[in-house]
Amino acid sequence: MKVNAREFAREYTLLECIQCGRCTGGCPVSMKTALNIRGLIYQLLIEDTFSPASLDELWDCTNCLTCTIRCPKDIRPADVIIGLRGFIVGEGKGVPPRIRDALMSAFTRGNTLGFATEDRDSWTEGLPFEVKNILDEGQADLLYYVGCTPAYDPRVQPVTRALATVFYEAGIDFGTLGVDEVCCGNEIRRIGEAEGFASMVEEFREVCKEFQAGRMVTVSPHCFNAFKNEYGELPFPVQHYTQFLTELIDTGKLTFRREVRKKVTYHDPCFLGKHNQVYDEPRYILQRLPGLEFEDLDRSRERSVCCEGGGGRMWAEGTNVEVRLAHQRVRDAVDLGAEVLAVACPFCLLTLEDAVKILGLDDKIQVMDIMELVIQAL
Amino acid sequence: MSDEKKQPAALVLGAGIAGIQTALDIANAGFQVYLVERLPSVGGHMAQLDKTFPTLDCSACILTPKMVDVASHPNIELMTYSELLGVTEQAGMFRAKVLKKARYVDISKCTGCGDCAKVCPVVVPNEFDVEMADRHAIYVPFPQAVPNKYTIDKRGWPPCKDACPAHIDVQGYVALIGQRKFAEALALIRQTIPFPGVIGRVCNHPCETACNRGQYDQPIAICALKRFVADWEKETEPLPPVEVHRDQAVAIIGAGPAGLTAAHDLALYGYRVVVFEALPVAGGMLAAGIPAYRLPRSVLEAEIARIQALGVEIKLNTPIGREGNPSLEDLRRDFDAILITVGAHQELQLRIEGEELEGVVPGVLFLRACNLKSHGPAIGLDLTARKVAVVGGGNVAIDAARSALRLGAELVTIVYRRSRTEMPASPWEVEDAEEEGVRFQFLANPIRILGRDGQVVGLECIRMELGEPDASGRRRPIPIPGSEFVLEVDVVIPAIGQTPDLGFMGEGKLAVTRWGTLAVDADTLATNLPGVFAGGDAVSGPATAIQAIAAGKQAAESIHRFLQGEELARPPKGLPVVPYEEVDLRRARKQARAEMPKLSPDIRAADFDEVELGFTEAQAVAEAQRCLNCAFCSECRQCVIACQAHAIVHDMQDETVELEVGAIVVATGFDLFDATLEPEFGYGRYPNVITGLQFERLSSASGPTAGKIQLNGQVPKDIVFIHCVGSRHKQVDVEYCSRVCCMYTAKQAHLAHDKVPDARVTVFYMDVRAFGKGFEEFYDRVREEGIIYRRGNPSEIYKRGDKLIVRAEDTLLGQTVEVPADLVVLATGVRPRDDADRLAEMLGLERSEDGFFAELHPELRPVDTRRRGVFLAGTCQSPKDIPDAVAQAKAAAAGAIVTLSQLRRQMDEMEDGGEA
Ligand SMILES: Cc1cc2nc3c(=O)[nH]c(=O)nc-3n(C[C@H](O)[C@H](O)[C@H](O)COP(=O)(O)OP(=O)(O)OC[C@H]3O[C@@H](n4cnc5c(N)ncnc54)[C@H](O)[C@@H]3O)c2cc1C
Ligand code: SF4
Ligand code: SF4
Ligand code: SF4
Repeated sequence: MKVNAREFAREYTLLECIQCGRCTGGCPVSMKTALNIRGLIYQLLIEDTFSPASLDELWDCTNCLTCTIRCPKDIRPADVIIGLRGFIVGEGKGVPPRIRDALMSAFTRGNTLGFATEDRDSWTEGLPFEVKNILDEGQADLLYYVGCTPAYDPRVQPVTRALATVFYEAGIDFGTLGVDEVCCGNEIRRIGEAEGFASMVEEFREVCKEFQAGRMVTVSPHCFNAFKNEYGELPFPVQHYTQFLTELIDTGKLTFRREVRKKVTYHDPCFLGKHNQVYDEPRYILQRLPGLEFEDLDRSRERSVCCEGGGGRMWAEGTNVEVRLAHQRVRDAVDLGAEVLAVACPFCLLTLEDAVKILGLDDKIQVMDIMELVIQAL
Repeated sequence: MSDEKKQPAALVLGAGIAGIQTALDIANAGFQVYLVERLPSVGGHMAQLDKTFPTLDCSACILTPKMVDVASHPNIELMTYSELLGVTEQAGMFRAKVLKKARYVDISKCTGCGDCAKVCPVVVPNEFDVEMADRHAIYVPFPQAVPNKYTIDKRGWPPCKDACPAHIDVQGYVALIGQRKFAEALALIRQTIPFPGVIGRVCNHPCETACNRGQYDQPIAICALKRFVADWEKETEPLPPVEVHRDQAVAIIGAGPAGLTAAHDLALYGYRVVVFEALPVAGGMLAAGIPAYRLPRSVLEAEIARIQALGVEIKLNTPIGREGNPSLEDLRRDFDAILITVGAHQELQLRIEGEELEGVVPGVLFLRACNLKSHGPAIGLDLTARKVAVVGGGNVAIDAARSALRLGAELVTIVYRRSRTEMPASPWEVEDAEEEGVRFQFLANPIRILGRDGQVVGLECIRMELGEPDASGRRRPIPIPGSEFVLEVDVVIPAIGQTPDLGFMGEGKLAVTRWGTLAVDADTLATNLPGVFAGGDAVSGPATAIQAIAAGKQAAESIHRFLQGEELARPPKGLPVVPYEEVDLRRARKQARAEMPKLSPDIRAADFDEVELGFTEAQAVAEAQRCLNCAFCSECRQCVIACQAHAIVHDMQDETVELEVGAIVVATGFDLFDATLEPEFGYGRYPNVITGLQFERLSSASGPTAGKIQLNGQVPKDIVFIHCVGSRHKQVDVEYCSRVCCMYTAKQAHLAHDKVPDARVTVFYMDVRAFGKGFEEFYDRVREEGIIYRRGNPSEIYKRGDKLIVRAEDTLLGQTVEVPADLVVLATGVRPRDDADRLAEMLGLERSEDGFFAELHPELRPVDTRRRGVFLAGTCQSPKDIPDAVAQAKAAAAGAIVTLSQLRRQMDEMEDGGEA
């Protein structure tokens, strides 16, 4: 299937593009793969039709959004990629197999990981308190949206439990959707499956009618981004846990008793930082932990570099597996003298921890979610 | 002929190249011009440039003659350091209000020699050099400035000086200490108070509480620095006695800090001064109250000796109004004015049972006994093995308790009815006392002193709790019924407050307040009796030494006015205080405050040796250098001393003038884009990422490196220029092209190559806009010199090792590249002035969508505005280069001249009509 380039360019406001190259210049994968978003835009501007199917590099994009925040003309190059992926997904041909699996699993099992639906609350095992089901009770002050990876992945489950523990300790009335929770669809949308995502949004909005909540808090910046920006108006405000914890600290509901004597730096998850400008809260929390010494990486905040785990890249290796962005990120943190590279995202946690293992730097640095440090300080 | 004054005049606002050109043209046509510039010098941005494209003329060389012309032209009145405040219009004429800001330098006297700047201790970043170099608080922005006159940058009063009751020039002496000018610092303190050594030890230093640095990290150790310079001066060389040139005499009753300060000031005014003191020593509470471990006697005595050396006579053992001594009436007869500064030395009674017992000693009497050895009741000065209770929470209580320890007491307990936070004593004194072993019974109140055989054996107290806040804002203590307990003690020292002992007044004609203090006029310190003034604790009740000193100064001033037959009330003093938000923190780095070395608690509690040991010189200098120079000018007055032309006027006032003009030309120019708004380039983070204007200063022979391209002494090997920073960029709200950056980058790339021939110079561009006369040729020339032009706008800059990495897509190659650099120059664009809004409203101008002032018609009326008689010149209308700015300036001048000529004709006609 061919894309009507004229229509596409108009829909995505590409006609304003001055071909400055800031998008590609900032794109973290542009130096290691064939992906050149400025070049793609140029083709869309000069051709009548355009055929994306054979462009394997389209799956290299992590949707980190660097191109978009750098574009002087307010064009959204990252959306162009999603748009083009949409044509491929619609066609069915050229979708990398593991991405197809993730999509299938999301629609049939409600999670992208291929796990059983009825195990979605298995992360609660071992918690010394009951986690309330908001659908049973009909209401809670806080809806704890767990997300697929935080619910199932054994490396991330402790983070999920830590957050529940903080809620519990701070006396927050919170509940989850239990085994009825389904994938947020953030990655589904970024894979280009627009229709599938639209129906996920519809279903969730229906479920929301069955309970009342004062707010929603997520573990993952990816879920946070989807609910906050792509679900339309929800009946409650959506927060990432770093925002909520900042509130708890400010109001004195969360205090720290124990020291965390570590030198820590922080990696900005793209979906928290570049997508949603949540830069200060994670740092605020880290700097409140007693005994903790904090130092920023040179490339931080809006200048941060993607770990390569987003935009569907959790499941697709991309066209160049030799060079991994996460490796440089870990080396930078080690060079800084940090003992802990803190993150606030399950994908970053897994990707960066893999990098530490592959580089054999386990004895030098540890990758930890902020929640894992917070729980140590309680 | 028409009257000279009726000649319609023009107002030109802004003296950059455009304003200068307009002013010269209008003046040459025979009209009067007021050229108003808000900075201390004319010249605008062009004065900051090194060379100008496309001719590579030296910018200063072609501009300076014009700057000199505007200053010397008979038809131009140059008003620098001035701002337009408002404009009204009537019958085609404008009335403009212009604020001439105080320069604190009389420019009719200043010769521009710069002797003042050499001694000024305050160093701040120089705006003219875009912070690449420093200047002093008194400065000319650049050597070729016009007028070549100095200006003092004074932002107000620093909070320290404001908070000090005596308004000591804190920032001034701190700055001088920072420069190791200890003698000058001490002299400056002595200009305000005669007691630097005393106040450097005993002050409660409200200045430090107010110090802005407290909000940044910790306040400056202002008090200890004062002590440092006082101690630094080993032997006090007394001032030569002042000749008494006025025959009037003043009597002062009470030789405490208030009385002695007044005596000092009055002696300097030239009066004969006699101080009458009841005690056998001078110094008041400083001598009789404050223990020697806080204030060694030698320090006090030396400072009093300096006052005596001025010719002040102190008569000791002379209680006025007492048997065998002169009365107040006697003094009124013999002296021309009288100051009463008798302090508050009468201890308040506890008003409980047992106060008459042996072993009860009022706090003030106890301290007097310790200090004067002889004076006081018979408890003796050996408290070995005795248990002491001190009642109260003020400094007298703490002093009494720590003195009792030093006299050998086995146990000393302070009983205070509220909690620690409500204690009026200085917290550091409380801590010192605690370290030495003084115990505290908070929330307890004595109800009875228990006695046996007329001797104290215990103090019965009741526990208290805190209720609602009372009038003083502190929570009121309430007794808890049934909570009585007994402290076994054999000495009780009440120290709950003091009142003045006004026994000396005899006839009782002096008005007294209901608190038993003397009633005075708060501004003049005059009592109800003419010629009699009062101040210090006798008026305020027990307060602080520095407040007493302030009162002494105030009284001396009033008495001087009184004796000179002047109005007593004095004009208000002071400038607005500089709040923390306005402090310049660009150079501030966090650094902890110096700690005062002290004797260790176990050693010091054994005797009356001084506890605090004072800063070392290195400590003092480092501590002084922490000062943020809140007000820029520190009022240290070194410049006053240095200036041979006597041009410096620290109390100069702003001035407002009204000008009547027939035409106004706005030539206020542009601001540079703030490059921190594109954080991906790391401006403000990496010192070797600079803006185009900074490069001009770097390259300029009169700049910080005398024209060498180097940073921190390093010559860059790889230099990268980046086009379009802050231009054509929707995300930072600048949609337009700044028009000058392509060409100035070409010029700068050429200069970089010229000055560092072996450097690799790369320019990243999106397009090169070489539209003007000779521009394309210049661009060709630059490329022929070997400068590399790469198409693509970089996306970010980061560090790798000691190099910067510029990451960009070379769009012609279709490849992302990482280009190493030692110096990156951002071609930052041009913005409308920050205050364009205000000016537009004042002058009734419109602004175009880009924010610049709007011309009446983009093609046909390029210099007219919607308001008749108001014209635009230069970059305030849109970004442009010098040739265009000058061309437009000449057009604006022509417009103004037409308007002025029409007005002149009208005036002439009216005059002719009148004569006919
Ligand atoms: C880095 C750089 C390099 C450049 N190099 C070149 C070059 O090589 N060749 C070239 O042709 N052009 C160059 N330009 C452009 C050139 O600087 C401008 O064209 C020129 O300075 C414009 O003059 P102006 O008088 O309009 O404004 P300005 O130079 O900005 O002067 C305006 C004056 O008005 C004063 N003012 C502002 N507001 C008020 C107020 N409210 N009341 C009183 N006074 C006020 C200001 O203090 C200033 O003195 C360069 C620009 C930059 C940024
Ligand atoms: S950054 Fe924007 S304007 Fe520049 S090439 Fe990319 S899409 Fe076009
Ligand atoms: S008074 Fe002191 S600080 Fe102020 S300008 Fe003069 S020398 Fe500088
Ligand atoms: S920082 Fe310096 S000038 Fe500012 S208040 Fe403190 S001592 Fe005064």
